[in-house]
Amino acid sequence: MNLIVSAIGQGLLWGILGLGLYLTFRILKFPDMTVEGTFPFGACVCVSLITQGTSPFIATLASFGAGLLTGFLTGILYTKGKIPILLAGILVMTGIYSINLRVLGKATVGLLNQNTLLNTGMLRELPNSFPSVTLGLILLTLLILLLALFLNTDLGQAFIATGDNKLMARSLGINTDNMEILGLMISNGLIGLCGGLIAQNDGYADVNMGVGTIVIGLAAIIIGEVAFGELSLTARLVAVILGSIFYRFVLLIVLKLGFSTNDFKLLSSLILALCLMLPVLEKKFNFSKTLKKGVQKP
Amino acid sequence: MKRLIGTIAVLFLFLIFAFFRSTDQAKKNQTPTVGILQLTSHPALDEIHRGIIAALKEEGFISGKNIKIDFQNAQNDQSNLKSMSQRFENEDAAVMIGIATPAAQSLANTTKTTPIVMGAISDPIGAGLVKDLKHPGGNITGVQHKEPIALQLQLIKTIMPELKTIGVLHTSSDDSSAAEVKEFSQLAQKTGIKVKEYTITSTNDIQQVSATMASNVQAIYIPNDNTVASGFQTVLKNANQNKIPIFPSTSEMTRQGGLATVSVSQYELGKMTGKMTAAILKGKDPADMAIEYPTKGTTYLNQKQAQQLGIDLPNELVTQISKKGVVIK
Repeated sequence: MNLIVSAIGQGLLWGILGLGLYLTFRILKFPDMTVEGTFPFGACVCVSLITQGTSPFIATLASFGAGLLTGFLTGILYTKGKIPILLAGILVMTGIYSINLRVLGKATVGLLNQNTLLNTGMLRELPNSFPSVTLGLILLTLLILLLALFLNTDLGQAFIATGDNKLMARSLGINTDNMEILGLMISNGLIGLCGGLIAQNDGYADVNMGVGTIVIGLAAIIIGEVAFGELSLTARLVAVILGSIFYRFVLLIVLKLGFSTNDFKLLSSLILALCLMLPVLEKKFNFSKTLKKGVQKP
Repeated sequence: MKRLIGTIAVLFLFLIFAFFRSTDQAKKNQTPTVGILQLTSHPALDEIHRGIIAALKEEGFISGKNIKIDFQNAQNDQSNLKSMSQRFENEDAAVMIGIATPAAQSLANTTKTTPIVMGAISDPIGAGLVKDLKHPGGNITGVQHKEPIALQLQLIKTIMPELKTIGVLHTSSDDSSAAEVKEFSQLAQKTGIKVKEYTITSTNDIQQVSATMASNVQAIYIPNDNTVASGFQTVLKNANQNKIPIFPSTSEMTRQGGLATVSVSQYELGKMTGKMTAAILKGKDPADMAIEYPTKGTTYLNQKQAQQLGIDLPNELVTQISKKGVVIK
């Protein structure tokens, strides 16, 4: 029981990473590798501020700011420096590693006996795992609301148009470079924020904690899409969060089934690959149609 | 859309149900569970694990008979550590053991009441696990991994009395090896040996860094560093080309071509961890158990390597080591 609650809590917090990635991966339609640098950067900034006595609230905000910065760097490299986006992201991600070491001072810093967002105020009174669920719910409601509002402004529409068709957007007088930088900044800001929150939830920051985060984010997006299909934009954001929770469930089941933990990485990859191929498989074999036919003609 | 709302509703109902369940739950396991959380698969860490199991057996705790051992390996995935720690908490484990620092930290973050035994952690205070090594006071105690660095340095001085500069190679992101390097540098400088520090960030850097280092120093010291250990053959190749010896911190690297070392075996550390775990299972309070660390080591000497490098070893030393330590021929 507690395990499932914990999985939901983790899914909710990791969902913020999914939201961030959605902005670049699905709306701007390009792969942003900065994620694996931004995530630990947010975590390192947050943890080192907390251990120096800053209030967890400000430290969490700072991790969002740290993400904005890395997003801005990637954006400038891509739009002004004309470096392909994949490379720009990898460059920033690689560079951030050294910065993370400097920020943290050493490879791993724990948050034991420190105040975090999850053990201040009301949240401390909640039973095990519920602090992360509550914090996740509050933050996600706020973030999705803000994102939905933003995407419906003129600026947000221009941002979406840039992703849909850059040429057309430019012909309409949209400064697509600025839109892409903005998108990368908001996206990475959310990812940095996620890093800060996960560090507080897990209780430490580690310079290597970024490895594999992009897969976690993609899994949330893909599972959300496969499970819930066509939706309005705001509902899609909610689907990403649910996808993130489902991904945690899948991992939990794999753990529970008693698979050797040595095979863990392979299994996560297989599950994700399967989900990614599902739309293609469905088209090819017409799953839903055959199912319906079967019902009509017994 | 309906599906989306439906799923959210189900999740919420579950959460509400779980919330009220968790406020009134009490359960007890008949056989106590020992949860062992290991950071990743690595020969050194696997040895600690083996030692723990052996020591538990010696103390009369046999897995599947009177205790249940739940072994989880996080495969270096930080997010796995959290869910695996929670799994132990959920199983109501009697004792939890963390092998490697992040594993112990993750456990410490999950519970403030269940006893936790650290399996060979190099810097328990720096990692924020305990405040005082002698009187831990909380639910955490365990074994500190400390190589007998002073003894190692003494051995180096005996073999190379003329040594002026020694190069040290370690990974910048590895806190435990950095701590060893710091201690080694301080001790070496006192005896008048100059220490040149070289760092790498991953195995990819080893070739270039070690080649540069080998041409600048008279000998190389390698702390207990997992990344350097993985690329040890590369360091060895460069050292051999320059005809200089390597003094590693572990017996494993000495076997592979290091010259000599004084070292504690990971297996012994594991056994110490297992003994402490057994004491807790028998009713001791971790708050009163001081952090233990090995006080002596075994000397290892690679005679084959000495011959290859043309180093004359004092006869006295060789006979002494062949009696008390291990000579690799």
